[in-house]
Amino acid sequence: MAKQIIDKNLQRPKKSKAARRNLFNGLLFASPWILGFIVFTVYAISASLYYSFCRYDILTPPHWIGMKNYTRLLTDDVIFMHSLWNTMYMVIFGLPIGLVLSLALSLLLNIKVKGISIYRAIFYIPTLVPAVALATLWMWLLNTDIGLVNVLLSKIGIAGPGWLNDPAWAKPALIMMGLWGIGGSSIIYLAGLQNIPDHLYEAAELDGANSYHKLRHVTLPMLSPIIFFNLIMGLIGSFQYFTQVYIMTNGGPQDSTLFYALYLFNRAFVDLKMGYASAMAWILFAITLVCTLLVFKTSAKWVYYEGHTNE
Amino acid sequence: MRYSRYILLFFILVALSGCSGHQGKMPVEITYWTGWSGHEFEIQKGLVDRFNAGHKNIHVKILSVFGSYQKVTIAFAGGDTPDVLSAVWAEQLAGYAMRGALTPLDSYLAASKRKPDEWSPGIWNMLQYKGHTYGMAATTNATFIAYNKQIFREAGITRLPQTIAELDDAAAKCTKYDANHRFIRYGFRPSGLASWAYVFGGKWYDQKTGKITANDPHNVQALQWMASYAKKYDIRKMQGFESTFGSAESVSGPFFVGKIGMWQCGEWVEQFTKRYAKDLDWGYFPLPYPPGGRPKSMTLGGSVFVIPSDCKNKKEAWEFLNWICGPEAVSDFCKGIGNVPPLRAVAGSPRFTKSPLFAFAGNLVSSENAFGPPQMPVWRTYMDQIVRAEDFAVLGGRDPKKMLDDVQKIMEQEMTDATEVL
Amino acid sequence: MSKGHSSSKRNQTILSHIVLSSLSLLCLLPFYWLVATSLKADMQVHAMPPVWFPHPIVWENYPKAMVYIPFLHYMKNTIVICVSSVIGTVLSCSLVAYSFSKIKWPGRDALFVLVLATLMLPGQVTMIPVFAIFRWLGWIGSYKPLIVPCFLGNAFYIFLLRQFFMSIPQELSDAAKVDGATEFSIYRMIILPLSKPALITVGLFTFIGAWNDFLGPLLYLNDDTKYTLSLGLQQFVGQHGQEWQLLMAAAVVMVVPIILIFIFAQNWFVKGIALTGIKG
Repeated sequence: MAKQIIDKNLQRPKKSKAARRNLFNGLLFASPWILGFIVFTVYAISASLYYSFCRYDILTPPHWIGMKNYTRLLTDDVIFMHSLWNTMYMVIFGLPIGLVLSLALSLLLNIKVKGISIYRAIFYIPTLVPAVALATLWMWLLNTDIGLVNVLLSKIGIAGPGWLNDPAWAKPALIMMGLWGIGGSSIIYLAGLQNIPDHLYEAAELDGANSYHKLRHVTLPMLSPIIFFNLIMGLIGSFQYFTQVYIMTNGGPQDSTLFYALYLFNRAFVDLKMGYASAMAWILFAITLVCTLLVFKTSAKWVYYEGHTNE
Repeated sequence: MRYSRYILLFFILVALSGCSGHQGKMPVEITYWTGWSGHEFEIQKGLVDRFNAGHKNIHVKILSVFGSYQKVTIAFAGGDTPDVLSAVWAEQLAGYAMRGALTPLDSYLAASKRKPDEWSPGIWNMLQYKGHTYGMAATTNATFIAYNKQIFREAGITRLPQTIAELDDAAAKCTKYDANHRFIRYGFRPSGLASWAYVFGGKWYDQKTGKITANDPHNVQALQWMASYAKKYDIRKMQGFESTFGSAESVSGPFFVGKIGMWQCGEWVEQFTKRYAKDLDWGYFPLPYPPGGRPKSMTLGGSVFVIPSDCKNKKEAWEFLNWICGPEAVSDFCKGIGNVPPLRAVAGSPRFTKSPLFAFAGNLVSSENAFGPPQMPVWRTYMDQIVRAEDFAVLGGRDPKKMLDDVQKIMEQEMTDATEVL
Repeated sequence: MSKGHSSSKRNQTILSHIVLSSLSLLCLLPFYWLVATSLKADMQVHAMPPVWFPHPIVWENYPKAMVYIPFLHYMKNTIVICVSSVIGTVLSCSLVAYSFSKIKWPGRDALFVLVLATLMLPGQVTMIPVFAIFRWLGWIGSYKPLIVPCFLGNAFYIFLLRQFFMSIPQELSDAAKVDGATEFSIYRMIILPLSKPALITVGLFTFIGAWNDFLGPLLYLNDDTKYTLSLGLQQFVGQHGQEWQLLMAAAVVMVVPIILIFIFAQNWFVKGIALTGIKG
């Protein structure tokens, strides 16, 4: 009995010593981010939270008004609701299309043929061309009468719509335009694909797997941490979709491209209502956080980390 | 006589010390931010260099902020503003002035003997807020209708339209369809509700009562008239037709290639006709108006030059501001970018009036019906809402009265938000 | 058996080339448009229908664009910022990602969610307080606001590297620990070398992000001798009648170095395969 107690006492210091060492190392390695958080982020985030309960026109100090911004946003701002719907449209339709296509593209760019690095560069180049330079090109491509898209559609018997001039088609047009930017996600998938050991494929082939089986049972599971990354970042990014419409449409036609982040920007810097915009930002934060946590919850079922138990 | 040498030496030393004392005084550095970039910036920079060369006690450093709202507002919030700023638009002036962000210029204007009637009345009014002057202007635009003389001849139009009815008639006559009822050319498409509301005798804000008047019956009339063009000529068809020519301000712009009879534009169009359409036979006339409306009416705007209130070198900042918005600089700037000078003496000078177009445009700008932004703090937001109403009513086919009622409701709320004492 | 195998492989190769080249043509369209417009004469820039092959080819647009703004000077400034950003980001993000993936400590996953959460608040509403902090530190007008935060981690890349590190088998670290290795030596000797493709990706994206960053330099720089290429590019844009062809020429010169860096970085992507001989 005494021996058992002594043995237990001998074990405990060792465990807590290792645990303490891990805590110390964990915090040490994470210290750059923690330092940045304390110096910059905490103040900035707290300030914006404070603003959301204020009337703040940027040129004079903020003035506390309590929940008024939030109540107005959630009960009395039709334009706000519309901007939220526009953004959800991008999340629901634009995000899956982008994810699937960038994954497909990365698989295509992973084929071992000669000159593949040139192809990879070519597919990445559209993301590097400045948006302002693409504006004229897009104006022509989506032109109702003589644009390439509608001309091709007419060849298969479809009368193309007005695209960026038509409120019903402006968002699909933007999704189409966004497809040229999938190179970025593809590169990340490519990096992940490099990390899949060849011997897994060889083993699968020995078991008689064809391309589809290899994809489903080797590639996708091994790639799942990266798919998870692109899904989360794509989600966060879609909720904050802004640049393209800021340059090209400024919300038109008829508010069909008035996205959440654009409405926020206009309220903040053009209309000088930073308090209202801050409340919008925190509502978006809450929505994004809930969606992200949902994805996290499901991740245990489909994300596979090599050699780790899922945490 | 040896003394004379020492006396001479003494005087030389005194003179030298006096000189070095004068050289020891550093010029005051003035930071000047402008929203312009590109061609406009180049000219401003040239003017700044000229000022620096002629004023040894001040050195102005010019910087472009590329029209960024963020940079300007954050500078104000952070207390890091430049000494002189021309990145605030006329429609924002009242909002900034109301919030105490700008230095009133009345005393400086008086000291430099500048008088209100140097500027066109519409321009002068847009620089005021609650009885004080808060900015200066260096450039402005007129709005009128350019017409294709050849198309008018073909259509048998002998008199330039002066009323709305005549304008509608001319537009119909200029329009031609092909066998499939697609446009070969069309007559006219009105745009810019803010201006047309004034033309129809309406107004957006009552200065005396401080009330928003977005759904003033005349405003509604104007919007209904604009929407009637969209309905009569099928706005989708018009847009499709226009877009086949790409950008309106390019070599293939529909007006330049004779595909539309009349085009609402400003004096800046001359730069493009000279560049892209030298052989175009075109003329111009003021915006026609309905019975009970206003002749020679339009909105005025442009960039204003301000001194932020926490400027540390106000005297020197004013010396520069006064010069860059003075006759010499304004004349060169407006000539360089093809705009109408807001200073009446400059607009009336031979340099500008030798061009009949600029004589015409300058005359329009000084008209008593040319209105700058109303002196209210949320005009910038108001303008966006007017554009939205036009978009929904004209392009989207919604009811003009309802759209303007919505604007009324929204702007009343915005006004309350901006002015309520908390 | 092998003959049939190799001919089907050849068919696959041909098919791949066909698919890849046709999609490439589509992808090259924006870049071709950029280059073509940069060589156009003024009249052809906005012509509709578009002029696909400029006639005459105006080579002078390039030297003109290079002197319109102090191009080389801006490029030098931009390179300084980019290289510093890459060093800071790769260093700090790999360290932090290691903590979130390879060390087990209480509160780790909660802190990781916090890291992600910082990405969910739109940056518009934190611009003013962040500017205030930089101003209080006296950094406005210098490159410090653009470079120093890179050394303090970036949530996007921390997340990315964490995912990659978690794909590296824990047995490697455990084996090294048994041999008495410290966390830092495991990080340096095992994890980093095995993550080359990911680290290259992070470095590449950071470089490109800093190269094209417009808002950061605009907000924090008040002296146009310190300006970067992205700000320089904006200087071509006027209110009426900007010189589009010069803008495009400058944009081409801005994009070409990035493409070259990208192609160069591809070598390291391939090397990643060679090193991955891990037994699962």
